Amino acid sequence: MLEIKNLHVKLADEDRVILNGLTLSVKAGEVHAIMGPNGSGKSTLSYVLSGREGYEVTEGSVTYKGEDLLAMTPSDRAARGVFLAFQYPIEIPGVATMQFLKVALNSQRKARGEKEMTTPDFMRLVKERAAKLNIGPEMLKRPVNVGFSGGEKKRAEILQMAVLEPALCVLDETDSGLDIDAMRVVADGVNSLRSPDRAMIVITHYQRLLDYIVPDHVHVLSRGRIVKSGGKSLALELEAKGYAEFESEAA
Amino acid sequence: MVVQKTVAELNYGLSLPHRKMEDWRWTDLRQLVDKPYPPRQTVVAAPKDVERLLKSSPFAKVAGSRLVFVNGHLSLENSETGLVQQSKGKILGVATQISTDEPVITMNAAFATDGARLKISGTTDTPIELLFLATNADARTIATRNVIEIEKGAAATLIETHLGEGTYLSNSVTEIRVGEGARLDRIKVELEAADAIHLAHTHTTLGKNTVFNDFTLTSGAKTNRQNGTVEFKGQGTEARVSGAYMLGGKQHADTRLLIDHQVPHCTSREIFKCVMDDNARGIFQGKVIVQRDAQKTDGKQSSHALLLSETAEFDAKPELEIFADDVVCGHGATSGDLNHDHLFYLMSRGIPPAEAKSLLIATFVGEAFDLIAHEGIKEALVKFSNKWLSQHRRAS
Ligand SMILES: Nc1ncnc2c1ncn2[C@@H]1O[C@H](COP(=O)(O)OP(=O)(O)OP(=O)(O)O)[C@@H](O)[C@H]1O
Ligand SMILES: [Mg+2]
Repeated sequence: MLEIKNLHVKLADEDRVILNGLTLSVKAGEVHAIMGPNGSGKSTLSYVLSGREGYEVTEGSVTYKGEDLLAMTPSDRAARGVFLAFQYPIEIPGVATMQFLKVALNSQRKARGEKEMTTPDFMRLVKERAAKLNIGPEMLKRPVNVGFSGGEKKRAEILQMAVLEPALCVLDETDSGLDIDAMRVVADGVNSLRSPDRAMIVITHYQRLLDYIVPDHVHVLSRGRIVKSGGKSLALELEAKGYAEFESEAA
Repeated sequence: MVVQKTVAELNYGLSLPHRKMEDWRWTDLRQLVDKPYPPRQTVVAAPKDVERLLKSSPFAKVAGSRLVFVNGHLSLENSETGLVQQSKGKILGVATQISTDEPVITMNAAFATDGARLKISGTTDTPIELLFLATNADARTIATRNVIEIEKGAAATLIETHLGEGTYLSNSVTEIRVGEGARLDRIKVELEAADAIHLAHTHTTLGKNTVFNDFTLTSGAKTNRQNGTVEFKGQGTEARVSGAYMLGGKQHADTRLLIDHQVPHCTSREIFKCVMDDNARGIFQGKVIVQRDAQKTDGKQSSHALLLSETAEFDAKPELEIFADDVVCGHGATSGDLNHDHLFYLMSRGIPPAEAKSLLIATFVGEAFDLIAHEGIKEALVKFSNKWLSQHRRAS
């Protein structure tokens, strides 16, 4: 589903290289966990996949469902099923959450040549998905992410994901800021989206999340490239030993 | 200094303001009134032209009563006077409260042909519209003068709409008196023809315990200058003067507000949200005066501009003149383009760039519409703004 080959990325207005030959292959149905020290480039990877401005790809390629992902606009990527749950979800004052979600869903459907969803159907869908994530109607009445607590923002991201039903889900530290119960609720939400034609990249610092969302592969990202890959046990190993080994290796 | 009179000045027999005058720094009428606009020319309007303009009012379905002025004269056959006690004919000379060295008023006093004189005594939820239409004809000045009196304890919603076609200069002066315990919601919408000049002056005096909500949408005319003066004459009064600009092309709009707190315990708020596209030029000059006796005044003003192109321009000149010592006053002005993080977030959810921008712009001006209490009027403005946005939509 996703082929990242030898990806080199620098900041657009600075001579600073962030991703430095990153290669990663994700097949439909798989869950990949990416772990790595602060500042190693995990969020940068998620932004490059979703098309945020400010980054320049200097080398390498990203192919998504056989097409050049990097050539697409952010909204086209979303319409084709790429979704990023932000590490720091953005507050948009004045834009109502429900209106935003409805415009987003129907823009995607329109771009895919599907019929737009009617308001009653949409309301039903959101209510059902929100209930599963313990998101009450009062949160949905507020502007996008405005006044949400850290944990509420993360749950709201997963709600958007559950409503938009993307094919490639990139979760950037969705677990940070969540209390233990919320983590379970969010993990259940994520797991219920697992399916043979959907893939997930889960960025996290804590192996605990991976007890709930069990990955097929675990990768260590250090200094802009994947330096080690393994199975679920790699996460446990990292938890015990830290990243010292990789930092020196990559240096 | 001897300056040579412009063609328009010779024609008017009046002097026009120039940019050496403090208030007129950004709007040089000697230059902008670029040709003679002979006043008081009687222009007969074809019924189908009037019909078309009537239909183009955003409030065609909202207003309960309307007084329609065509080319500067009340047109009874197009009006619905139901709620309104109106008096036709030549309206007063220059009212004494209004300072006459104001060029817009001087011009109006010389050329006004008609206007509405309303005295509102009951309370009504149904908006009353004053609709000023200009039909396409030779370039000319159309001047009207209105006097609105909201009597003690009364409450009303008043819409003032300016629409037109062709080349003309419209000069509109309105005097408003809000009596004790009364409330006035006033919504002015300036949608003059693309080739028109709109000059306006509104002078409002507020009595004790009154509520005055004033909103102006400025989106028409090539050149626009609107003055507003609000005098607080009685304690316990609240005034909110707000507005929105939606400007593109080479449009020029200049608003000059003077909020004059003369008595204690009053509140004033000015909030302007200005969307500027292409080469449009917007100016907001807001001055709050707190006189020596006006203790416990709470006065704040802000202007926010959203610049959609690199060539759009916005200038804000906020001023506070405070002579009392126990007051809370402040002002703020911001100007910038759309927030890129907001845009990216919307696009990352599948909303195409042009729609994402429109959504954010609509939200930006919508904050000004939200200050309007009447739902039907608010809806009409949202509809207008969406139409404007669809005409100014682009992806990059
Ligand atoms: N727009 C930017 N401007 C300046 N520096 C940036 C920018 N984006 C990323 N960086 C830098 O690139 C490096 C990688 O950042 P990134 O956010 O991808 O790290 P991360 O692996 O997600 O870290 P964390 O675990 O702390 O979230 C950091 O040193 C960061 O400061
Ligand atoms: Mg990060």
